[in-house]
Amino acid sequence: MISNLINRKIFALIKVQYSNMMEYRVEIALWAISGIIPFFMLNIWTNNNLNESINISEIMLSRYFLCAFFVRQFSVVWVVFSFEEDSLMGKISPYLIQPLNPFFRYFAQHIAEQITRFPFALIIAFFFFLFNPESIWIPNLGILFLSIISTFLSFLIQFLIQSIVACLCFWTEKASSIERLLFIPTLFLSGLLAPVISFPEYVKSWIYLTPFPYLIDFPANLLSGNETNIVRGFSMQILWIILLFPLFKKIWFRGTKKYTAMGS
Amino acid sequence: MNLKKYINIYTKFLHTSLASELEYKTNILIDLATAILSLIGSIFLLSIFFQNNARVGGWEFEQALIIQGIYTILNGITNTWFNPNLTEIVKHIREGTLDFVLLKPIDSQFFISSKKINPSGFLEIILGFGLLIYCIKINQIYLNFYYLFLCLITLICSICILYSLWFFISTTTIWFVKTWNAIEVLRSFLYIGRFPLNSFSFSLRIFFSVFIPIAFITTIPSEVFLGLTQFWKIFLEVAISGIFIFSSRKFWLFALRFYSSASS
Amino acid sequence: MLNNIIDVQNLSKSFDISSKEPGLKGTIKHFFKRKTTSVKVIKNISFKIREGEIVGFLGANGAGKTTILKMLCGLIYPSEGSISVSGYFPYRRKENFLKNITLIMGQKQQLIWDLPPIESFYLNASIYDIDKFEAKKRIKKLSDMLEIDNELFIPVRKLSLGQRMKSELLAALIHEPNILFLDEPTLGLDINAQRNLRKFLQKYNEETNATICLTSHYMKDITSLCKRVICVHNGSISYDGKLDKLLKKLSPVKEILIVCRSEEDVIKLNTSGFTVKNKTKNEITIKVENKSITSSLKTILNNFDIEDLYINEPPIDEIIGKVLNKKEYDI
Repeated sequence: MISNLINRKIFALIKVQYSNMMEYRVEIALWAISGIIPFFMLNIWTNNNLNESINISEIMLSRYFLCAFFVRQFSVVWVVFSFEEDSLMGKISPYLIQPLNPFFRYFAQHIAEQITRFPFALIIAFFFFLFNPESIWIPNLGILFLSIISTFLSFLIQFLIQSIVACLCFWTEKASSIERLLFIPTLFLSGLLAPVISFPEYVKSWIYLTPFPYLIDFPANLLSGNETNIVRGFSMQILWIILLFPLFKKIWFRGTKKYTAMGS
Repeated sequence: MNLKKYINIYTKFLHTSLASELEYKTNILIDLATAILSLIGSIFLLSIFFQNNARVGGWEFEQALIIQGIYTILNGITNTWFNPNLTEIVKHIREGTLDFVLLKPIDSQFFISSKKINPSGFLEIILGFGLLIYCIKINQIYLNFYYLFLCLITLICSICILYSLWFFISTTTIWFVKTWNAIEVLRSFLYIGRFPLNSFSFSLRIFFSVFIPIAFITTIPSEVFLGLTQFWKIFLEVAISGIFIFSSRKFWLFALRFYSSASS
Repeated sequence: MLNNIIDVQNLSKSFDISSKEPGLKGTIKHFFKRKTTSVKVIKNISFKIREGEIVGFLGANGAGKTTILKMLCGLIYPSEGSISVSGYFPYRRKENFLKNITLIMGQKQQLIWDLPPIESFYLNASIYDIDKFEAKKRIKKLSDMLEIDNELFIPVRKLSLGQRMKSELLAALIHEPNILFLDEPTLGLDINAQRNLRKFLQKYNEETNATICLTSHYMKDITSLCKRVICVHNGSISYDGKLDKLLKKLSPVKEILIVCRSEEDVIKLNTSGFTVKNKTKNEITIKVENKSITSSLKTILNNFDIEDLYINEPPIDEIIGKVLNKKEYDI
C-alpha cells in the first residue's frame, strides 16, 4: 500500500515536471546536443586509425560511441545544481515540511527530462546512421532490455552520488565546486571519451573496483555488442547502489538536522 | 578622460570582486584541484591516443602538450573573467536587477563583462603557463621576441573569440533565463580545443574552423609557438576575432532593445 | 521658476504575451505552436510634472504604475506617444540624463552582498564620476540624514532589512540626482522603516528640491508624502490632481466586521440602520463613515453583546474602481 502511495506521488510529480519540461523545448534540445562529445572522440579514433592498436574494428567502435552517447543522455544527473539553486532561493524549507523527501522531486524531474529528450536523441542517432551507414544495426530485444536496465542502474548510481554531494549544501555553500571536482574522474574514467579497454594496464588493474566503468562503459558495451562481462557488470552496479543508498539516507538525516535557512 | 574613468572603475570591480571571493577560501583550493585533475585527465587521454602511435593528426605527443597548455591558459581566463560574469547576469535577470545596470552612466557591456573576477582562475592560468614553459623546454623551441610577439597576438585574438562566444551566451539570458544548457553546449564544443585540429576528419576540421572556431583558439597559437604556422592563418585569426567582437556587441545592443520593449 | 521637468503625451504601451491552454493537450499544442496576443497595458495617458513636486502613482497590482515609471526612466520603450524628462528622451539613456536620475525598487538591491555598503558607495561614486573626497563628503551628509553610521562597515548580508534599505538609499543618492523614481519602496518593510523612509524623502525633497515620483499600492505612502496623486487603473489615469481633493471625493469609509454571539443579533444589526455590505449566519459587515465610527461603535457595543470586532479599510481596488467609474464611494 505504501509503495502504491509512493507510485502515485511519483507519477503525479512526473506529469507536472513533464509539463514543465515541454515549456523549455529549445533548452531540452540544447541539452541533448551538449552530449555530443562521444561523437567527436569517435572521430579522432577513426580518423587516425587508433582503433587498430586496441583490436577493435571501426564499426564496433562507432557503435560503442553511439551507445555511449545514449547511455550518457539517459544517465546524466544534475541534482547538485538543482538542490543548490533551490537552497539559495529558500525553496528547501517548504519542501522539508511536505511529507515527501525532496529528492523524489528531483528524481521525477530527471525522469521527466529523459522522456522529453528521447525524441531528440533519436534524431541525433538518425543523423549518425546517415553518416555511418555501415554501422547500422539493431540489437536483439534481450540485449536491449538488459541495456536499459543497466543504464537505469548507472543513472541511480550517479543520482545517489550527486545527492550525497548535494546534502553537503547543508554544511558548506559551495557543494557545486565539489561536484565539478568529482565530475572529472567521471568524465575520463567512465568510458565516455575512450573505451576502458583502451586504457593502459596499470589503470585497468584498479578501475574495475571503482564505480566509474559501470557508468558508461559497461552499459555501452552491452548495448553495442562489444565484449563485456555481464555478470560482473550488473553485480558491481547493484553493489554500489547497496553501498550508496544507506550512506545517502544517513547524510540526509544528519543534514536536515543541521539545516538552517540560508539567505533571506 | 574616458579611458581613465573606465580603468578606475575596473580597478574598483577588481577590488570588490576579490574582496567578495576571498571570503570563500576553500572554494579556490577546490577549483585549483579541479583544474589540475582536468589537466591530468586530458594528458592521460592524450597518452591513450598516442600509446601505439608516434603521430596523431601530424602532431607528436610533446607538441600536442603545447595545445593542452594553451587550452589550460584559456580555460583559466574563462574561469576568471567570463564564467563569473555569466553567473552574474543570470542573477540580474532572475532578480530583476538588470535595470540598475542599465541606468548607470557607463557602457552596459563593459559593466556586465567585467564586474566579477574569480581568483581561482588565476591559478589555472599559472598552471597553463607552467606547462607551456615545460613544453618549450622539451620541444627545444628557440624563443625570440618576434615569435613571442606573434604568440601574444594570436593569444589575444583567441581570448577575444572566446570572450565573444561566452558573451553571446550571456546575452541570450535575456530571452532564456536558464542558459545552463547553452553553456554546456559551448563547454562540450570547447573541450575539442584540447586536441590538434588535424586529428579530426576534414569536414569536422571545417566545422571547427568556421562555425565554432576552436581551431583558432588553441591550434593556431600552438602552431605559432612551434614555428609551424603561416602568415595567412594569423591574419585570418585576427580578422575572425574582429568579426566576433563586433557581432557580440551588435547582438548585445539588439538584446537590450528587446529587453526595453518586452519587459515589464 | 516652475517648469515641467517631466512631460508625457499620449503615451501607450503594448506587450506580446504567449498564452497556453491548460492540461496535457494544451501543453503539447503549445510545444509546437505558440499563440501570442498583444495586450495594451498603458492606454494613451498624458501628464506633466513640475520640478520639485512629489507625485504618487496609486493603483492596484498590475494597473501599470511600474510600467509608467520604467518608461520615465528609459528602461522600457513606449509603443506610442512621447516622453520628455529633463529635456531628454529617456530611452536614449544619454549619460547626462542618467547622472540626473535614480531608480529605487522595493525588495531589489544593487549593493554588493558580501561586502560592507561603503564599498558599493565608492564603486558608485567612480561610476558617476565623483572623486573620492567629494564622495566622502556626500556619504557623511546622507548617512547623517538617514541616521546610519557603523552599519556602513558591516557586510550587507549581515544587516537587518531596515539598515539595508537605508544603505540602498544612500547608494542610490550619492550622485545627487534631481529626479528620484521609487517603485514600491516600502514593500516588505515594517511600520518603523516605512515611516523612516517617508520622513527621509520629505526631508530630501525640502533640502534639494528634487522631483520625486513614487508608485505604491499602500495608501499611507501616498497620503503622507504626496500632495499630488495620479491614480492608475487598468492602464489609464482615473484621477490626476491634488490628494486632498481626491480624499474628499472618496469620503473615506471603513468596514466593520462584527462577529455576533447569536443569529438574532445579526438580524437585529441588519435592521439597525447601518449600511450592510454582507452578512452570514453570525457575522455581519457594515460600512461606516470615518467621522461616525466612534458613535457607531458606541451604539453597537452598548446594545449588543458581541464576540469580536474587526475594523478594515475597504480594499483599494474598490476605491479606485469607483473613482474610475466616477461614482462616489458612497454609503
